[in-house]
Amino acid sequence: MLHVDRLTKSLPDGRVLLNGISFTVSRGEFVGILGASGAGKSLTLRCILGLTKADAGSARLVEPDGRSFELTSCTGRNQREARRRMGVIFQGFNLVKRLRVLDNVMIGRLAQIHPLRSWLYGFTDAEAEEAVQALRQVKMETYADRVTGSLSGGEMQRVAIARAIFQRPSLFLADEPIAALDPSNSLAIMKLLQPLSRTTPVLGVFHQPEMTARFCTRVIAIKRGAVVYDGAPGLSHAELEEIYGDELMQVLRPTPPAAPPAGSEPGPAVGLLLPNHPS
Amino acid sequence: MSAALSIPTATARADRARRAWRIVLAATLMGALVVGSAILCRVDVVGFLPGLFQGLSVLRFFFPPDVGSLAEMVGPALVTLLLAAVATPFGVALSILFGLAGAANLSPAWLRAPARGVIAVERALPEIVVLLLLVAALGVGPFPGVVTLAIGSVGMLGRLFADAIEEIDARVIESVACVGASRWQVVRYAVLPEVMPSFLANAIFRFEINLRASVLLGAVGAGGIGLELQKAMALLEYERAMMAVLVTLALVFGAERISDFLRRRVLEKGGLR
Ligand SMILES: Nc1ncnc2c1ncn2[C@@H]1O[C@H](COP(=O)(O)OP(=O)(O)O)[C@@H](O)[C@H]1O
Ligand SMILES: [Mg+2]
Repeated sequence: MLHVDRLTKSLPDGRVLLNGISFTVSRGEFVGILGASGAGKSLTLRCILGLTKADAGSARLVEPDGRSFELTSCTGRNQREARRRMGVIFQGFNLVKRLRVLDNVMIGRLAQIHPLRSWLYGFTDAEAEEAVQALRQVKMETYADRVTGSLSGGEMQRVAIARAIFQRPSLFLADEPIAALDPSNSLAIMKLLQPLSRTTPVLGVFHQPEMTARFCTRVIAIKRGAVVYDGAPGLSHAELEEIYGDELMQVLRPTPPAAPPAGSEPGPAVGLLLPNHPS
Repeated sequence: MSAALSIPTATARADRARRAWRIVLAATLMGALVVGSAILCRVDVVGFLPGLFQGLSVLRFFFPPDVGSLAEMVGPALVTLLLAAVATPFGVALSILFGLAGAANLSPAWLRAPARGVIAVERALPEIVVLLLLVAALGVGPFPGVVTLAIGSVGMLGRLFADAIEEIDARVIESVACVGASRWQVVRYAVLPEVMPSFLANAIFRFEINLRASVLLGAVGAGGIGLELQKAMALLEYERAMMAVLVTLALVFGAERISDFLRRRVLEKGGLR
């Protein structure tokens, strides 16, 4: 469970970026964060991860076994312990391009093996096999030996998800994982994230209200550093207008077809191989 | 061409006029500098050409090269090669340490400033100055030569390495740190893979530079083929000197071919595998 409580962040010049952000993410939830650009969505995630120091407020991660981590105040070893429990799905282009796909996936478990081994020996065959399993889950196992930099955007995004899966976190965080992808790839990624959220809660920033309406269990909207909506994923046009203001027209794109159209990018039909995806 | 298509406005004309003036001014300054420094250095253009021919005529004393001395040259040539071959790995290892310590996105300010400072000083010091200081401290021989070249390598490779690390996308480093990886794990799994190919290529190039420098340093006390050449010249044994020159050429040229090949491989394949 993730408890975010009155997170506040201002710039030295007094501009308020986050103005008391509070919300909770619990087991079984797939929570989408919406908001105009510059609203403070990424900054909220960065404060949760300890990449940016919040001025006030707290974020707490409570493990299924009851252990709890104060995310905004922990440092050093404690911070690494906390981070290892949060699987961050970065945009795909943040992978290490010169490494093989499999190496990029195995990075997910760096904090779970002995530092000396990570330097000298690397990962065992058993771990590599598990990493291939994670790649299989995103339909990328045949790419395991490819140099990551040679992949397409959609393929890299899948590898980024495989890294987070391999990490075995107790919470997934994603910042615009489908922002750089075409509609059919976006749909495939959403269909990957949804089943993950059944066992491990997912908190993701999205720019497509029609996607969060269809896949998320809950939506949070942030406007000028404050939560202005927290509830059912289906938002009315008036509510979206309130959230996005002038940006609304850029956000409301036609809903992509339920299945990737024939003849589109020959990416694997990810959703079909995963159990329980919505039809 | 685009200038011919667009209608020249008053401001565009003024711009071009200003640019023309700037070019004229720069050319005049350059000319003045060349003439001025020639006068200051007493360059004697009239006496220069006969001097050049006289110098060229001295060349005939160098032929034919003394092939008989080849056997005696092999040892010193190997010393020169060894000097560069030992100094370069040391320099590379030091450069990695100083490069990591000098990269703003990895190391704290208290460590970065001195590391960058050392690199800058090493870059500024000419090799010959370092060698003469070390010879004074350590005595004549190959050892001060090795140290000189190793230090010189840090000035170049350390700087290139630190700069390359600073150019890595911060988000790539963050994405590895976010799985809970330690700073050293970030170095191993994000920093080194991204910068290693170009660093290796630079290191190989530096080996070439070190080889040429070790010939020169040989003449001022480091030993090797450079010393051989200098001795022959001092004893007026020009044919023998010519042989030393030929051996040097073969050595440097051969090293260059190998280094070119390795460098291309490293950059294309991303490693030596
Ligand atoms: N390091 C920073 N320094 C100054 N301003 C920042 C910094 N990071 C974010 N901001 C500002 O904070 C606001 C929220 O940014 P962000 O969270 O990235 O927006 P988004 O909701 O689009 O993800 C923006 O106005 C941005 O300019
Ligand atoms: Mg953002």
